[in-house]
Amino acid sequence: MVDMVPRMVGNDAERLAIRTRGLTKTYGEGAAEVRAVRGVDLEIEAGSFVVMLGPSGSGKTTLLNLIAGIEPPSAGEIRVDGVDLAGLDEEQRTRFRRNSVGLIFQFFNLIPTLTGSENVELIAELTGGGERASEMVGRVGLAERGDHFPAQLSGGEQQRIAVARALAGAPHLLLGDEPTGALDLDTGRKVLALLREVAVERDQTVVLVTHNAVIARMADRVLGMRDGRIVSDELNPEPVDADQLEW
Amino acid sequence: MPTSSSGRRIGVRVLRLKLRRDMRRQRSQFLAIGVTIFLGVVLFGASYDAYRNLDASYQRAFTEYRFANLTITGGDTGTIAAKARVADGVEAVEARTQADLPFQTGDTKLLGRVVGLPVAGQPAVNRVDVEAGDYLSPGRPDGVLVEQHTAEHFDLSPGDSLTVLDQSGAPHRVTSVGTAASVEYFWPARSRQQVITSPDDFGVLFAPEETARELAGVGGPNQVVVYYDGGRENAALTERLTRDAGRAGAADVMTRARQPSNSALQEDVSGFEELAIMFPLLFLTAAALATAVLMRRLVDAQRPTIGMLRAAGFSRGQLLRHYLGFGLVAGGLGGLVGGVVGLLLAGQVTDVYTGELSIPVTVTELRPATLVTGIAFGIVTGLIAAGLPAWGASKVPPAEAMRSFGPASGGSISLFERILPPLKRLPARWRMTLRSFGRNRRRTFSTALGVVLALVLILVSWGMVDTVQTLVNQQFDEIERQDAELYYQAAIGPADLDAVRGTDGVARAEPALNAEVTLSAGGRRYQTSLVGLRRDTQMHEFLLAGGGTTTLPAQGLLTGEALDSELGVSVGDTVRVTAPGAGSGREETVRDFVSEPLGTLAYTALDNAAPFAPAAGAEGNANSALVRFEPGADRDEMRRRLSSLPGVAAYEDSQAIKTAVDQYLGLFYAFVGVMLVFGGAMAFALIFNSMSSSISERRVEMATLRASGAPAPMLARLVRAENLINVAIGIVPGLIVGYAAAAGFMASFGSDQFNFDLQMRGSTLVLSAVAIVIVALISQIPGLRALRRINVATIIRERSG
Repeated sequence: MVDMVPRMVGNDAERLAIRTRGLTKTYGEGAAEVRAVRGVDLEIEAGSFVVMLGPSGSGKTTLLNLIAGIEPPSAGEIRVDGVDLAGLDEEQRTRFRRNSVGLIFQFFNLIPTLTGSENVELIAELTGGGERASEMVGRVGLAERGDHFPAQLSGGEQQRIAVARALAGAPHLLLGDEPTGALDLDTGRKVLALLREVAVERDQTVVLVTHNAVIARMADRVLGMRDGRIVSDELNPEPVDADQLEW
Repeated sequence: MPTSSSGRRIGVRVLRLKLRRDMRRQRSQFLAIGVTIFLGVVLFGASYDAYRNLDASYQRAFTEYRFANLTITGGDTGTIAAKARVADGVEAVEARTQADLPFQTGDTKLLGRVVGLPVAGQPAVNRVDVEAGDYLSPGRPDGVLVEQHTAEHFDLSPGDSLTVLDQSGAPHRVTSVGTAASVEYFWPARSRQQVITSPDDFGVLFAPEETARELAGVGGPNQVVVYYDGGRENAALTERLTRDAGRAGAADVMTRARQPSNSALQEDVSGFEELAIMFPLLFLTAAALATAVLMRRLVDAQRPTIGMLRAAGFSRGQLLRHYLGFGLVAGGLGGLVGGVVGLLLAGQVTDVYTGELSIPVTVTELRPATLVTGIAFGIVTGLIAAGLPAWGASKVPPAEAMRSFGPASGGSISLFERILPPLKRLPARWRMTLRSFGRNRRRTFSTALGVVLALVLILVSWGMVDTVQTLVNQQFDEIERQDAELYYQAAIGPADLDAVRGTDGVARAEPALNAEVTLSAGGRRYQTSLVGLRRDTQMHEFLLAGGGTTTLPAQGLLTGEALDSELGVSVGDTVRVTAPGAGSGREETVRDFVSEPLGTLAYTALDNAAPFAPAAGAEGNANSALVRFEPGADRDEMRRRLSSLPGVAAYEDSQAIKTAVDQYLGLFYAFVGVMLVFGGAMAFALIFNSMSSSISERRVEMATLRASGAPAPMLARLVRAENLINVAIGIVPGLIVGYAAAAGFMASFGSDQFNFDLQMRGSTLVLSAVAIVIVALISQIPGLRALRRINVATIIRERSG
């Protein structure tokens, strides 16, 4: 089904995971118009670990949503995993997310009536990879706790399940919106370490949105956002391990 | 919140503003609640006031037409009337002649009744309403008033002629001078045994008293009708007059309450009264459930807001009143609009009802008390429903309410998976659906209860129609197996039966004897018909009250089971059977009780019945012939052929009564249709609100799944399945409770006139269940649309803080 989605061809497709040109997102009209993302030009290489920093209201979550294909842009171009998202309708964007993107949220967003393993299975089934679920749960170190319901798991365990869920569809791109925002330091570190490990293992591109500048130390690249624009873009030649982070 | 009075005022104003905006945000859900309360109050106002109007119409008609409080038949009518005239509490007495005589109009010969009226003017008791033509006059001894049902059916106008057969069978030509409605025949019942009649088989003529006597072959009146002061019931007076009548040899004393027409209509009115309370209660309960579900969801969703308000100084009482405001507004508006509409509809319902029954007096009153009660019902429903969630809101500790998000509740393996372990192997999405079903027990319970209430409403209404149709079919197909009965003026002989059997289209004919008798035991009396049949009769099936069938015994009686309550007798007891001209009568043993839907008759072997026959003859004194047609016989042609046989005074087609019942059921069908719509609306409102709450409660989960690439149609399927499971859970108890309620309701009609045990067709249960499922599917459409429109980005952004 995803074959219907137009893909980039040639070297671009091999090298770049994300490419935007003049990417803009506005909400409302007239006097009530809010420009959340203003003409963002961005290129992110496949396999990189990127952190987007910025204060509340800077547009980082909106940019993440645009990259995930959750929202269509108001103007500009956006190509993710070789797909021109601006040209897709809602149904095509849904298919794109299913096949190419894994999402991790601040508050985990697990289905409370499904066990940890079943939460992963639910997403794995969408891409026809139900059998991957137990592998993913094992990969995040919760093989023994997978049959527990979210309410019976700690915050860190829930977020690890959320990571396994994000990986379940074998996406090329992992997107996290404040994935450690609801976790204590130690747990947050473990989750970040896990994210880094699996991304390297699977050659996945990771983009995390956060307002916690400390997390940026483990990124390959740090983007700063303010007022809907990228105001800084720095490469980190020596990313640290997650267990070295302090906040 | 500041404690100064101006601060308090501002706080209250802000809360009011919040109330208005919250309601605007959830207007569809509040509309659904308001509409359910509205329907409940409308139903209450319309049906309760219509019931009161109807009762008032009857009471006014009784007064206006001076409906007899007591009707005494037989005995020394002169003495009975004289004693009644001087009794304290009696306003008027009339002695008159009444005789059951066949008459013919066109080709139709029917069992008629002639009632004598004074020619000088309206009688003092049981006056008639002349609807067309003129009242009787001294100069027209052959002039009669035709009862309205008969006149309408045969299209008889003033000037049309009829032929009445007198007691000896001689024909007398009479002419209609007008059409009259009589309080005794608002419902054209022939007797307590024959409450349902066909106008082809039974009609009433009001003749000058002298003419009635001449036709009946009596020298003086045979009936006394007594009207008490103001028409008011007086038990002591009734007891005294009954005693006097017994001493004067009266065959039957009938109170107004037991008068066949009035008794049948009162059953109807009391049924109306029950429905006027029961059905609105169902609606208001449903509305309360829907309100409670919505309010619970609202309070849960607003916990952080409540916490903030509490932290800011708003008191628990203020928050309690604020959330009670939702119930107050929905209940108050629904109740007010419903009360007014109900008030207006009540008059319409009354008009339709009295018009359908051709009751000449229609009382339509505006009753402010009903309006106030209706509004109060609405408000109380809203307040009770909002009460618990509002109390819960007022108790929310500020700190707890302002904590961050987390899973609302723990999960567990569903009951379905525990009962049927292979279900655990279903895809995760279907396991999610199974478990979501029991996730919010209050909502699950509310939806299921809503389905139960809707099914009660539908099955009670539909059960009435099913019961009447089934039992009428049972009476006229299974129990009475003749196609027609021929009544003869005198006892029949072998030649009469031979003539019937020799008629083309007749497959079988049997003699039968019909005699008016009085059964008495233990000082109690019961007037009924004694039916004599051959012991090997193939024209009647005797269904035993305890189940099974039996045949006629050589000696003794089979009687309708209501004789148990009428005379206090059991199987094996004896009753005295008396009939006019049969001396002091005879003791007979009750051999068994039969279960028959219509009337409470006594059956015995033809030979055993012979002494009670009105006339003697060769065929065991039989006075009628039961006829079965050959298959495919033309019924109109058979009526014509058999009516023209010598000696046949009247012809009764058993199928004509069924047709008449179908006509009477016209109103029922309309009623059931309305109830189906109302029941559907009620189920819709509940399921809609339940579903809206369900989706609202899980919008983050749904948004997460959508963000993860779950297609909207798949989520819609899961939600639809979850709701249908919820509805299905309500359907089974709904069918059981609905059936029980219908059975209870039908049992309330039980009397010696009717034995309407609930008979519900399997198809009714199936169709009712299907109707609920269809409503459930329709009620999900708005919710599923909302699900499709769910704004994933916004919800995720909200959660991201």
